[in-house]
Amino acid sequence: MSGWEVFQIWLGAFLTVAIFSFMYKDNPLYKAAEHIFAGITAGYYVALYLDTVVYQQLWVPVTHNGRVWLIIPGILGIFMFGRLWPKLTWLARFGLAFIMGTTAGVFLASELHGNVLGQMSGTMQIQQVAGQPNYVLTALVVIGLLATLIYFYFSKPHTGVLGVTASVGIWFIMVSFGAHFGYTVMGRVSLLIGRVYFLYNDWIGTMR
Amino acid sequence: MSFWDRISRLDRRWIYLLVWLTVITPLFLPATFPISVTPEARQLYDAVQALPDSCVVLLTFDTYPNALAETEPMARAALHHLFRKHIRVVTLTTIPLGGPSIAERVTRELAATYRKTYGVDFVNLGYKPNYVSVLKGLGTSIESIYPTDNSGTPLAQLPLMQNVKSYSDMKFIFVVTDNGIIDYWISIVNAQFKIPVGAGVTAVMAPKQYAYVGSGQMTGLLGGMKGAAEYEELVDKHALATRGMGIQSLIHILLIVLIGIGNLAYFMGRRKRGAA
Repeated sequence: MSGWEVFQIWLGAFLTVAIFSFMYKDNPLYKAAEHIFAGITAGYYVALYLDTVVYQQLWVPVTHNGRVWLIIPGILGIFMFGRLWPKLTWLARFGLAFIMGTTAGVFLASELHGNVLGQMSGTMQIQQVAGQPNYVLTALVVIGLLATLIYFYFSKPHTGVLGVTASVGIWFIMVSFGAHFGYTVMGRVSLLIGRVYFLYNDWIGTMR
Repeated sequence: MSFWDRISRLDRRWIYLLVWLTVITPLFLPATFPISVTPEARQLYDAVQALPDSCVVLLTFDTYPNALAETEPMARAALHHLFRKHIRVVTLTTIPLGGPSIAERVTRELAATYRKTYGVDFVNLGYKPNYVSVLKGLGTSIESIYPTDNSGTPLAQLPLMQNVKSYSDMKFIFVVTDNGIIDYWISIVNAQFKIPVGAGVTAVMAPKQYAYVGSGQMTGLLGGMKGAAEYEELVDKHALATRGMGIQSLIHILLIVLIGIGNLAYFMGRRKRGAA
């Protein structure tokens, strides 16, 4: 292992411990690590977009490949900086309008295909478990879907049959929240395990 | 002050300390628990297992470095499976912060183990900005989006890429991700280009993804470190995730006990206040 790699590991270990020190209480080491992270990330993204977008996708195609029409989106991009000066804010609207239009166009089709139709179709099918049809699960999915949708129907008071169905919907939502919470705990613990492994194997490993 | 009052007012740093001790102890006294394989992980494994040898699979490293504890074991287990089956692998990332270097490091390390040659058996395309354009563009022409690979070599000079021009030349997409990009692999790539997509996602994301598996839009799912450990079990390559699940299980037991004690303290305190 080279000296440079050892330095990188020690720096990583120092920043990891600095971040974890917040668990005891807020302190200057934690603040320093937090600011270093925010600063480096911002600087990295600026350099990255200058290279991968401005240079690779605008400068090179325009100057080397003759794709002069790319100057138009380039100008729209420059207009976005108009928001920095109150008198020129209106210029940014052209770029924003272009982004909103293209985004709506692209995502309309993909959301329809991927989420709306795909999920509707999935709900209408008989649910399978290990390749075998499972009618109990199918009934649970249909009841859960309808009850949850009714819970979010606010045009009529939740009384009578509507109220009972909405209450069933709450139970399904709570089960969903519980699953999300359990998975979130597992995820966060995994990250802690990853850092502890780094400190134990890599950092302490450099001292052995 | 009663015992339950003291528990209710316990400084949360004692709990942090308990969690730390639970994480550290198995490093010296290893704890292992059996790993059960879920149907979703089995489905993903079976889908890869059913692929013809020497076909091309796209493996994505859509992950930031902070989620590596969950995502790297998945990618490693997937590469073991793919290389063992002599499947040729194309990797890419839509994440600039660490994605390209993680793909490069992990793929080259595993490729060396299986004696795979860069450009022939695997290629790393690297990162390009604007994931929506990338995902859509790859369906028409990979070269229009990635004129070069991650190292700047033109795709025309890489033997593997001579016959891989778009999604239609790939049999499967294995997405390893820690963010919402998985929704677009489903809604743009699977829905519009009809190519099967399987995924390994972080635990936080997993509950939502089950809906895609249930509807048949996703071919198998690995959820968090548990999912990674399941895939390690399936490919018989026990590594970081399998070891991590031992610690994970201990912490889950600790948290269940703490939640139980916390609730008990709350109800005892409420009963005492009611009596007063």
